[in-house]
Amino acid sequence: MFDILLQQIANGLSVGMGYALVALGLTLIFGVLHVINFSHGETFMIGGLLTLIATTTLGLPYLVALPLAGLGGAVLGLAINWISVRPLLPRRDGAADVLLATFAVSILIHQAVIMLWGPTPARIDGVPGAFEIGPVVLTGQRLFVLAAGLALLVALEWMLRRTRFGVELRAVAQSQFAARVVGINVDRVNGVTFGIAAVVAALGGALLSPVILYSASMGQVVIIKAFVVVVIGGMGSITGAVACGLLVGLLEAVLGLFAGEGIATAIIYSLLLAMLLFRPQGLTGKRAR
Amino acid sequence: MTSSPFILGVGAVLAVAIGFLVDSPYFASVLAYGVVLGIFSLGLGLTLGRMGYVTFGHAAFFGLGAYAVALLCVEFGLSYWAVLPLALLPGVGLGVLVGFVSARLGGAYFAIATLTTAEILRLVAANWIDLTRGPMGILVPVTPLPWQEALGWNASQAYLSLLVVVAAIVLALIHNLNRSPLGRAWVAVREAPDLAESLGIPTVRARVWNVALSGAIASLAGALVLPKIFVVTPDLFGVANSATGLLAAILGGKATLLGPLLGGIVFAVLPETLRFVDAARLAIFAVILLVVVRLLPGGIVSLLPSRLRPRIRAPQPVAGDAGPTLFPAAAAGTADELLQVSHLRKSFAGVTATQDVSFTVRRGELVGLIGPNGAGKTTCFSQLSGFLAPDAGQIAFDGRSVIGQAPHRIAARGMVRTFQHAALARNLSVYENVLTATHLALPETVLASALRLPSFRRREAERARLAMACLAALDLTARADEMAQDLPYGEQKLLAIAMALATRPRLLLLDEPAAGLNQVEAARLADVLRMLQRAGLTLVVVDHNLKMMMAICDRIVVLHHGALIAQGTPAEVRSHPEVIQAYLGGQDDDVAEMRS
Repeated sequence: MFDILLQQIANGLSVGMGYALVALGLTLIFGVLHVINFSHGETFMIGGLLTLIATTTLGLPYLVALPLAGLGGAVLGLAINWISVRPLLPRRDGAADVLLATFAVSILIHQAVIMLWGPTPARIDGVPGAFEIGPVVLTGQRLFVLAAGLALLVALEWMLRRTRFGVELRAVAQSQFAARVVGINVDRVNGVTFGIAAVVAALGGALLSPVILYSASMGQVVIIKAFVVVVIGGMGSITGAVACGLLVGLLEAVLGLFAGEGIATAIIYSLLLAMLLFRPQGLTGKRAR
Repeated sequence: MTSSPFILGVGAVLAVAIGFLVDSPYFASVLAYGVVLGIFSLGLGLTLGRMGYVTFGHAAFFGLGAYAVALLCVEFGLSYWAVLPLALLPGVGLGVLVGFVSARLGGAYFAIATLTTAEILRLVAANWIDLTRGPMGILVPVTPLPWQEALGWNASQAYLSLLVVVAAIVLALIHNLNRSPLGRAWVAVREAPDLAESLGIPTVRARVWNVALSGAIASLAGALVLPKIFVVTPDLFGVANSATGLLAAILGGKATLLGPLLGGIVFAVLPETLRFVDAARLAIFAVILLVVVRLLPGGIVSLLPSRLRPRIRAPQPVAGDAGPTLFPAAAAGTADELLQVSHLRKSFAGVTATQDVSFTVRRGELVGLIGPNGAGKTTCFSQLSGFLAPDAGQIAFDGRSVIGQAPHRIAARGMVRTFQHAALARNLSVYENVLTATHLALPETVLASALRLPSFRRREAERARLAMACLAALDLTARADEMAQDLPYGEQKLLAIAMALATRPRLLLLDEPAAGLNQVEAARLADVLRMLQRAGLTLVVVDHNLKMMMAICDRIVVLHHGALIAQGTPAEVRSHPEVIQAYLGGQDDDVAEMRS
């Protein structure tokens, strides 16, 4: 029994890395633009779909499909920003309108994919092999998810801390107005932030789909889990998103062992409501007011 | 103007007419689904239109109502029609829960919380097989309605005519609520939450009420759909239902009465008439939603010329009616010292905004609070009115502490503040703004509002008289029907005072009422403040217009860098060396103004 638990923890961490990557983009966009991109989960799904098409229809190796998925994610992210975010932001009810518009886009993407490729889940062959660490067996893909996810996080952190764009992004996050005053092109920063978030989400989908099976509805499921992650981690907090992403993945795997998958997911979702009730600023945030 | 008896009358006529006109069971059934969807959208529109909260999970309420009634029917063998009204209860319960969890955080959190709630319920319904039979669903037996046979109708006709009656009742109730203190509170909370709170509106309670009522209506709609679908499945909680209701409310016009109902009917009938789009139904809905949000945020109704849209008009002033006395409460109470502030202290991350400030305001006094920019005057006001919690010190109003009380509680006790920026519900009329603030003076119950009972009408007439009296007191009667945002700046400041007056306060805290006013407007304001004091009101005024302050104040308290440096009569303060020093360090003009 203990061995199974350890195995579930290892499995949960790799799935959690996928959640962390999606939540990261959600929280980044919220931190910079102060809006919620509801269609973010569909970018994750498109990452999986592009990987499926590249590996099966085009017959490319998985490691070649991966950057293609990231590229597709960037294009999609920029398009979403162009269609449903940028023109609505300056409005009086901008945040609510962006929420509605990205919700519409998410349904549109989901339905379009179902109509064109069908709703059936599909297997994707990822990195082969398996490694035994004591009683725990990690597949090559799961290890790869953890390693690649970690590499992405480090790269992102470096970008935020060390590059000129990172400084600009953090300036816009603190105050759009002040950033504009000192000559930062806020629209460009917003757009690039959107693009980066989309690349990370699409890569997350490409990484995770060999583990959890690709399906057209994987985006709808992951977006709610990403919400759980960012609400627990504190909206706008990057460290919170990563730590809680791993935590949620782990908790889900362990709970699934005892309660079954459906109920485990329901419990994870309930955490969001409990969090909003008792500590709305998240684990990392400070109490406002 | 539409009245609720009129709505009910039209509903009754339609119910009978439709029963006889629509005899095709197919068409009646499609139309019935449209009316159910319309009722669902009406519930959703209450939250979206009144509070401005986007929801992605109203199917949580819809599905809960359906499951509750289905389980009551199947588990206890009760008749569907008998348990139907009980569907309101789980909706209220879930609404209070979701409302309390998320509505105080506002905006996006509400959308996330409703979506998550719907998903939790869907998972529970799909996995708690013993109770819900899982994805298979529950088959609900529906007996024919008693009057079906008597009238010689088919089942769909009888069902449809019942739905039309229910829709009319729901419409009438919503219409009544919108024109009550609660409905006005929703708009105030949406437009300016801090102002609403300062006028004594309990913002959290108003929001929770809204979500609870919205949830009850959506839940009833979910139960009403059963005779059409027969089987309740976990899919009822799905995003497709939430999205359809949302789209119907938005397309119809979320801020209007009839819009969501019409939208619901359109989105039920549309897929039936365009059978070939069935597979693409949701995708087409999504495209429509996107287009409406981008191009037509006000819904179809916004295409109507604005004079066709309903407006609430101020009543005509009756000659010879002086209106209710504005300051009956001024003489009440016991303590002569109405406000006692002692050793008040507040700092923000190392910056001391208030340090050890103590002063007293006696009943009937007009006290000025002055000081150079950054002296901590507004911070002091925010602590008095409950928007900021002091780090240390005591504030007693009429002998009792206000520390730790919510702003709306403090306002209800009679200490009401205005804001530096005249933060009003901009797109409501001047009259409606003031009417919103009358709820403290003449409180109302939700039941009386919803049913528009005679007692409600009596009190509502009183509220209207009070609002008009407040406008008259500030010489704004002629402006009553203008939009608040169209008033000149000086009169917007007077409107803010009129709103505060409508709460029948004992102590008014005015934050920079003269800021931005020209000399004529400032003189008018000074007259108003003197008039209020003569009428028995106690006032504390923060302002930079020292000439006016010296002229009207009985006493002046001077703050500098958060500390109290002087207090006394205008003459005493004017010659106080520390005050001169504080102002000389700042602006020479001010000193010249004080000397003059």
